[in-house]
Amino acid sequence: MRRVMERILNLLAFLLTADRPVTADEIRQTVAGYDQDSDEAFHRMFERDKELLRSMGIPLELRPTDVWEVEFGYSVDPERYRLPEVDLTDEERLALAIASQAVRLGGHTVGPEALMKLGGLGPAGGGEPLGAELGMRAENLSTAFEAATERQVLRFRYRGRSRVLEPYGLLHQRGHWYLIGKEGGEIRAFRMDRADRFEAGEPGAFERPPGFRLQAAVPDEPWAIGDQAVTATVRFDERVAWWAERQLGGSVERAEDGGVVATIEVANPAAFFGWLITFEDSAEILTPEDLRQRFIEQVAP
Amino acid sequence: MSRTAERLARLLSMVPWVIEHPGAPLDEVCERFGYRRDELVADLNLVFVCGLPGYGPGDLIDVYLDEREVTIEMADYFARPLRLEAGEALGLVAAGTMLMATGQASPALERAVDKLTSALGVTDELAIEVAAEPELVGVLRQAAEEHHPVEIVYTAVGDGSTTTRIVEPWLVFTTLGNWYVTGFCRLAGARRVFRVDRIRTATPLRERFEPPAEPPEPDVTYVASPEDAVAVIELDPPAYWVAEYYPVEIVEQRDDLMRVRFFASDPSIIARLMLRLGTHGRIVEGDEAQAATDDLRRRILARYGVTISQ
Repeated sequence: MRRVMERILNLLAFLLTADRPVTADEIRQTVAGYDQDSDEAFHRMFERDKELLRSMGIPLELRPTDVWEVEFGYSVDPERYRLPEVDLTDEERLALAIASQAVRLGGHTVGPEALMKLGGLGPAGGGEPLGAELGMRAENLSTAFEAATERQVLRFRYRGRSRVLEPYGLLHQRGHWYLIGKEGGEIRAFRMDRADRFEAGEPGAFERPPGFRLQAAVPDEPWAIGDQAVTATVRFDERVAWWAERQLGGSVERAEDGGVVATIEVANPAAFFGWLITFEDSAEILTPEDLRQRFIEQVAP
Repeated sequence: MSRTAERLARLLSMVPWVIEHPGAPLDEVCERFGYRRDELVADLNLVFVCGLPGYGPGDLIDVYLDEREVTIEMADYFARPLRLEAGEALGLVAAGTMLMATGQASPALERAVDKLTSALGVTDELAIEVAAEPELVGVLRQAAEEHHPVEIVYTAVGDGSTTTRIVEPWLVFTTLGNWYVTGFCRLAGARRVFRVDRIRTATPLRERFEPPAEPPEPDVTYVASPEDAVAVIELDPPAYWVAEYYPVEIVEQRDDLMRVRFFASDPSIIARLMLRLGTHGRIVEGDEAQAATDDLRRRILARYGVTISQ
C-alpha cells in the first residue's frame, strides 16, 4: 500500500500544479512510480489509480491538450479540487460534528471523511440526546440537491413518465422528501421516493427567483391540498380533545363537557377523512351536511 | 472506498491542517484525524518522500517531525482539503438544518451551518420541516441529557388506552414526520418507543438513571411478533400507497391489484386503515382484523345515527 500511496500523492501533486492537461505518456515519463517496463503494466496501474482518485471524489478530467483535439490529457482543476474557506472555530466544528452524527439519511450518518475535511472528527460516542432519521439514502437526494445549488436542469423518471425540471430545492416535510422546481412555467412538487434515473445538465442553466420559499410550494396540511376548500366544524370528545387541539392549533372552541368544536378548512376530503378516522368514534363532523354524508359513505361503502 | 482510498482521504485532510498549524502537537493531530501515533508517523514519513517531478531536495515536501510536534512545508498544492462531495455536503447541511428546525440548535451550530452554507453557495435549496412539539421535545431532551426519568401520561396509538408510566429517556428523535422518545419504560420493564404527540404531560423526576453504554438508534424499527395482528389485504391501484407507507410484505402484485400482508401491534390499526381505504381495500385473510374493522365501522356509524344490519 505504501508504494501505491506514494505514487498517487506524486501524481496528484503533479496534476494540481500542471496548468494544462497532461497525457498518460507524459505522466509515465515524469511522475515517480510510473516508470514501468511494459505498456500493459503501466496502463493497468494507471487505470487503477484513476479509478481510486475518482472514488475519493477528486475531479479528474480528460481534456484535449490543444485546440485541434487530436490528443487528450488529464487534469485536476485546483479550483474544483479545493474546499472553499469555511473557517469554523473549534466550537462550531464540534457542534456540526455532533449534529451530523445525530441525523441520519436512510440509516447512514455523514462519514468521517467529510468531518476531517473540515478540520477533524467530533467526540467519540455521539452524546447528542436528540436525533433524526430523514428516511432516504443520499444518492438521489444529493444529485438533486447539487442540481439545485448549481442551477442544473434535472431530468428524471416520475411514476413512469419523463420529467424535465429546473430544480429550486429539496423540502423534507411529514417524513417525506419533495423535489420542488419549475416545469413548463409552473411550480411543481415531486415525491423523491417515487422518482428515479436522475440526470443533471450543465451548471448555471437557469435563475432561481430570489427569496423563493420551498415551503410555499407544498401546503401545510394534507387536506388543504385541493381545488376548493369547504369550512367544516368537527366535534371532538373530551377524551381526545387535547390531541385534536394540539394538532390543529388555535381554531377550537371549548364545550362545557370538556370536548371541543374545531373549525377546519378542508380541500382534500380523502386526506381529511383518513385523519378523522384516527379519532374513531370520538369525533363527529357537524357541518356541512354533504361532507358529513360523504364521511358516512366512506365508512360504510 | 477501498482502504487505500480511505487512508489517502485522511492524509489529504490531515496535511492541510498541519500546514496551517506549524508545530502542530502530534496528540492533537491524532485526535482530530483518528490516528494512532504509529499510523500518523507512518503517514508523515510517506509525505516527505513525495513531491514534484525532479524529486530533489527543493521539490519534495518538507516534514519536520520530533517527539511532540510536526510542521509541513513546501506543499502549497496540498494546502487545502478536498472539496466536500455532494452527498457529504447534503448530509452536513441536512443535519444542521434539521436541528435548527427543531429550535434545539446551539448558537455554535447555527453559526457553523451559516458559514458552511455560504461557503458552499447554498441559499435556500434545502428546507426541513419537523412536526414541532417544541415544549415536550425540549423537556424530554433535557431529561435525556441530564439522565432524569420522566413521568408521562401516554395514550397508545393502538388501542387508545391512557397510562401513567415512568420512563428513562435515552434519545428523542424524529422520523417519518413524527417525534419519538425511546428509553427504558419501568412499567413495561423493557425498552419502549413512545410517540411524543401522544404524550399528554411529561414531568421530570429528581432522581437520576444510568444511561445505556451504547446510544440507541433513532429508528422505529418495527419487529413483527407472534402476538401481532396480521391481515392479508387486497388493494386496488389507488391504494398502492399503503405498500410505500407501511412495512408490508407484498404477497402478489399485478397492474390492477396488489395483495399485501400487513402486521400491526393492534388490530385497531388495521381497522382504521381499512375504513380509510373504503372500497379500494379488502381484507382477504385475518378474522381478528376483520372483526375489529366491523366493530369500528359500527361504532362510528352509531355516532352519526346510522345503524347497519350485520
